[in-house]
Amino acid sequence: MPVNLALGHVSTDFLIAALMIYSLAVLAFAGDFAFGRPKRGAEASRTQVRARAGALATVGASGSPSADSGTAGGGDASVPTSMPPVPLSPLRAIMAAGPWVRAGMALSSAGVLAHAIAVVTRGLAVHRAPWGNMYEFITALTCFAAIFFLWVMVRYRAWALGVFVMGAVVVILGLAETLIYTAAGTLVPALQSYWLSIHVTAMTVATGVFFVAAALGVIYLVVDRYNRRVAAGKAQGGNGIIARLPSLEQLDRLAYRTVVFGFPVWTFGVIAGAIWADEAWGRYWGWDPVETWAFITWVVYAAFLHARATAGWRGRRAHYVQILGFVTLAFNIMVVQVFITGMHSYAGVG
Amino acid sequence: MTDLRPAPEVDDQPAIPVPDATFGVCDWLRWAWRQLTSMRIALILLFLLALGSVPGSMLPQEGTNAAGVAQYYKSHPTLAPLLNHLGMFNVFGAPWFAAIYLLLFASLVGCVVPRTFKLAGSARTLPPRAPRNIGRLPHSATYATSLPPGPALEVSAGMLGGHGFRMRHSGDGERWISAEKGYLREAGNLLFHLSLLGILVSIALGGLFGYKADKLLVAGATFTDTQSDLDEIYPGRLVTDSDFAPFSIKLDSFSASYVQSGPQLGQPSAFNADVSYTTSPGAPVKTDDIQVNSPLSIDGAKVYLIGHGYAPIFKVTSASGQPEYNQAQPFIAGTSGDFLSQGVVKVPDATPEGLGFSGVFVPTAAVSPDGTLESVFPAAANPRVSLIAYGGNLGMNSGPTQSVYELDMAGLKQLAAQPHVLSQGQTWKLPDGKGSITFVGYQQWASFAITHDPGQLPALICGMGALGGLLLSFLVRRRRVFVRVAAAPSGSGSVVRFGGLARTDASGGFEAEFASLAAELRAAHEQQAPQQETGD
Ligand code: HEM
Repeated sequence: MPVNLALGHVSTDFLIAALMIYSLAVLAFAGDFAFGRPKRGAEASRTQVRARAGALATVGASGSPSADSGTAGGGDASVPTSMPPVPLSPLRAIMAAGPWVRAGMALSSAGVLAHAIAVVTRGLAVHRAPWGNMYEFITALTCFAAIFFLWVMVRYRAWALGVFVMGAVVVILGLAETLIYTAAGTLVPALQSYWLSIHVTAMTVATGVFFVAAALGVIYLVVDRYNRRVAAGKAQGGNGIIARLPSLEQLDRLAYRTVVFGFPVWTFGVIAGAIWADEAWGRYWGWDPVETWAFITWVVYAAFLHARATAGWRGRRAHYVQILGFVTLAFNIMVVQVFITGMHSYAGVG
Repeated sequence: MTDLRPAPEVDDQPAIPVPDATFGVCDWLRWAWRQLTSMRIALILLFLLALGSVPGSMLPQEGTNAAGVAQYYKSHPTLAPLLNHLGMFNVFGAPWFAAIYLLLFASLVGCVVPRTFKLAGSARTLPPRAPRNIGRLPHSATYATSLPPGPALEVSAGMLGGHGFRMRHSGDGERWISAEKGYLREAGNLLFHLSLLGILVSIALGGLFGYKADKLLVAGATFTDTQSDLDEIYPGRLVTDSDFAPFSIKLDSFSASYVQSGPQLGQPSAFNADVSYTTSPGAPVKTDDIQVNSPLSIDGAKVYLIGHGYAPIFKVTSASGQPEYNQAQPFIAGTSGDFLSQGVVKVPDATPEGLGFSGVFVPTAAVSPDGTLESVFPAAANPRVSLIAYGGNLGMNSGPTQSVYELDMAGLKQLAAQPHVLSQGQTWKLPDGKGSITFVGYQQWASFAITHDPGQLPALICGMGALGGLLLSFLVRRRRVFVRVAAAPSGSGSVVRFGGLARTDASGGFEAEFASLAAELRAAHEQQAPQQETGD
């Protein structure tokens, strides 16, 4: 079937729209940093709300969050009641987080919508999964990263991270748009397989997720460095930006859970790739350079998961490992697939 | 204080003793084994594995790119032998690489097998006693109920049992319950690691009992799957003749389609190899269309389409007019995608002397401004050949077997100074009446890889096992909850303290689970509470 060029242009237009809306979202999140109510920073995540409730439960003196003990079956009214808080609904949490966050979330959602439309129309234009060359791959992976990160922000109330992660999405997407734009086209026969959709979908999703994890890891390292400098007397405490970010422990957990989400998806993608390689080339694993680097990435993330269970490797060092994992991934996409000849006739750049 | 968290981590094992002068051989062995199976060494080995793979992707490898290795020897004459000595051109078969992964898997076995026993043990032993101060747990709730302590505890047990918790009850003197759930997490972790081991074994199985072979077929030709009929064979160490399935395949026709216009002009869009085959001599003939992503499976082997090209047909006659040669000869294309292909024609029996030709086949010819023949499109829209003719002894009756793609120039003399270009149907009369050559037309050829890998299915099953184990270990959380019931200070009803903690909560969500358990427990108590209570 011929490529639908008109639809290809629609896709490009939506992508540019998404890029502009994302940029506004980044500005809104930055505005929250500059002008938002600092008080909210202390409650940036549910976990802290929980910690406060936990403190109440042990101290047990100053009134209960749910003082409903007088009802039937309630028992002794002199006993302080404390129940774990039932989390606010996501929408109410966003409303409570202030005008800048509201604007940032609304713009991010609109941007994700435009971005998703761009990806889908590209797929309809070329009659296949819209990740058949590097440009399409980066467009799609940033879309998955943005969707995943929106979910992370809502679930963990991590608004303060929006400016950094969405900022990184804007930079990568903008670079892809300007440097490696590729018009809609058909694929070489080796890429015409439904395993392409399955394998590359998994790889794209996992890359998007690991991207978020790496961004969180960098924020972790920045906060950690600042804290250590304060502890060593080399920096003044009370930095406004740091104070608004989630605590080290929360960042650590967030990054860990993000990797935990991405790792099985990556594993599945590698297995699907092996099945595809078996269909196309007659061997499921052949140490082709791209395969080798996918393996290296997998091993490094496995090392990160192990590092968290190894004394002396938790925290900062583990995050170096995690970021190294993303570096190997980026190296695979940007160097190995483009400059080293192998069987992956994929990049389609230049 | 005792550790209430479920399942100790490897790190919590007793410290490895430091070697000293009293160490005997056994002590040293035990020490080495404990080191090897520690988490830290596993981590280091994982890093080494990643690091060791890097040269395998940066340097050309013998198995996949032998030409690249030869090229590397030419461009780095001093460095290359050194690298070769280190196994850098065959990293994934090198002893040092094998050492890394074998140590890693030894470590894995040593780490994971004891965990299996521990898991089996902990599934039989009961959870620890409930802590005295439940409020210190990461998650806790306190409330009063009008139920007396005894029934309140019973209601709690009913509710936790309903959720599938394994429970431990206090003795008579106290009123508490400890409950635990999520043993599948450890089982998943085990399944994952053991499946990795399974993948390694499957790869070894394929390496020993499998084979891979190549065959190039011109349209119309047939081959059988025997060691003598295949072009190149890479058999596993333990492969015998009887492992080759007795099928034969005829290439009826091959077609390639290309993008005809636009920026992707000339990019291939489809390849089809139409074949007829029989699974054994005398069996009924079947047909199939082998494509790049759709191999043919016969009898445990798979046949893949891996390449294609043109085979120009030449007719060569001797000086006397006697026909000496009339067949299609496969020419090999370079990597540029325009299918400018090279090959040779050998006619050793021509008279008065043997004839050899080296030629270039151009599927869609155009003459460039500087007068050379160029290929502008990969399909054969305007095919031409350009030939250089040689006369003399082709050296085919002596010496080692020759390649069909090269001439042995030792006994040959060039017959004409210039290459001669022919289009389809044209004949070139060679100088000095040495005979003639006609470019009759062309056939297409396709090359196939034939593979048999008994480790393939086990590897797939283990891969799925690894994925399943991973998901189990990430999605299931090992958690404990505790209930303590005490009589209320006022004397009527009781106070319920409910607490919980999760050891690993990879995907999160224990908070929400705990909140809902607490709410459910409280609702259960209120439902069972005596109704007259408010009327007092
Ligand atoms: C082929 C190499 C290995 C790979 C790719 C690998 C991968 C992984 C992965 C992805 C996890 C996370 C799953 C989870 O948290 O449940 C994990 C956990 C674990 N691995 Fe490995 N592993 C390897 C070798 C080893 C070895 C050699 C050991 C023992 C020395 C080991 C011991 C463990 C343990 C104890 C855990 C659980 C950690 C925890 O409870 O958080 N693994 N491994």
